[in-house]
Amino acid sequence: MSEASRREVRAGPESSLARLWRYALVLSKARDAAADLVQATCLLAIECADQFVPGTRIDRWLFAILRSIWLNEIRSQRIREGGGFVDAEDALISDGARELETNITASTVLRAIGGLSQTKRETILLVYAEGYSYAEAAAALGVPIGTIMRRLAAGRAALAKLK
Amino acid sequence: MARLAADEGLRERYEELCQTSAPLAASFDVLLEQAPLTRLRNALPAKGLIRRPPWRFTGIAFRELAAGLVIGVLAAGAAIWAASTFGLLDGREDWRTAIAEYTHLYTNETFSPLKPDAAQQAAELNAVGAMVGAKLTPENATLPDLRFASAFMLSYVGSPMGVRAYVDRSGAPVLLCILANGAPDAPTQSERRGDLPLAWWSRNGRSHLIIGHVSEEQAGALAQMIKKQV
Repeated sequence: MSEASRREVRAGPESSLARLWRYALVLSKARDAAADLVQATCLLAIECADQFVPGTRIDRWLFAILRSIWLNEIRSQRIREGGGFVDAEDALISDGARELETNITASTVLRAIGGLSQTKRETILLVYAEGYSYAEAAAALGVPIGTIMRRLAAGRAALAKLK
Repeated sequence: MARLAADEGLRERYEELCQTSAPLAASFDVLLEQAPLTRLRNALPAKGLIRRPPWRFTGIAFRELAAGLVIGVLAAGAAIWAASTFGLLDGREDWRTAIAEYTHLYTNETFSPLKPDAAQQAAELNAVGAMVGAKLTPENATLPDLRFASAFMLSYVGSPMGVRAYVDRSGAPVLLCILANGAPDAPTQSERRGDLPLAWWSRNGRSHLIIGHVSEEQAGALAQMIKKQV
């Protein structure tokens, strides 16, 4: 691995912190846990820097690491009953009341998204906010494209109910 | 785009999708402004190489995080091999314990989605074989009633360890771990860790361990077969 690539791995988390935190928040629905998750992601990324393939997108590599850590967090919850993350209904709600084009506030939309399952939330985020194509999202989440489309449809349906 | 231009119905559908998804994207953008950047930046590791930090992430051992990384990377098809860390038992327990604990993290969903074609199998096995000093090919990695799912690299207290992952018809994982540790030759031995039988042996400076959701008899038979292959 070249020094330039190592620098790329070092710089990757710094430039992606806000987006990593957003992904972590969408997964965990807990703001402090999201920060911890980002920290763990950054540490593991540097620990495993040699795995990064130069020329590929480091932000998506970091996303994959973050998701993997989160999946293990879920898996470990079975032995940490009561000590794991606590879903906060309002965790995804914006503290601002920014009005969107459709006269719906971001808070209202985020509340609706927060009511969806984790898999739907992250699919909606990756495709609509992070710009993953359906195929890229399917590969990243390990599901067929049809599943991606159904999850997105669920997100749009939730939004439609707000109108 | 040409289809969009020519197909009015498709264009209407596309525009409808864009319109319905726009508030979702905009709402997510609001969250970016709320990211605790100062806290996150302060938590970034200082310059310099980090090796096996003693931290845990809200109760998860680092080896579990590493397992997740392997799962995620492989599931995404993004890497042939992944390095990880097993050296977290502070020397209190042996490598078989580490592998058994690690294997318990895998589920029927971990490897069953992975269906590498012949070229991918050859590439993965070749890469792993090069790391542990063994010639591994799809032909000599075939096991009865098990489907090859992946080969990847881990490490145990500094020694490279290759893993060949298989699944049975139900998707249950069966792993062959090859640890290049310079151990003296040792005959096949077996034991059980929880619901997982193990069979292990050492030869040519490498220790091997087969573990998974098989019977003890099957584990022993697989060990004998693998000894002829590797």
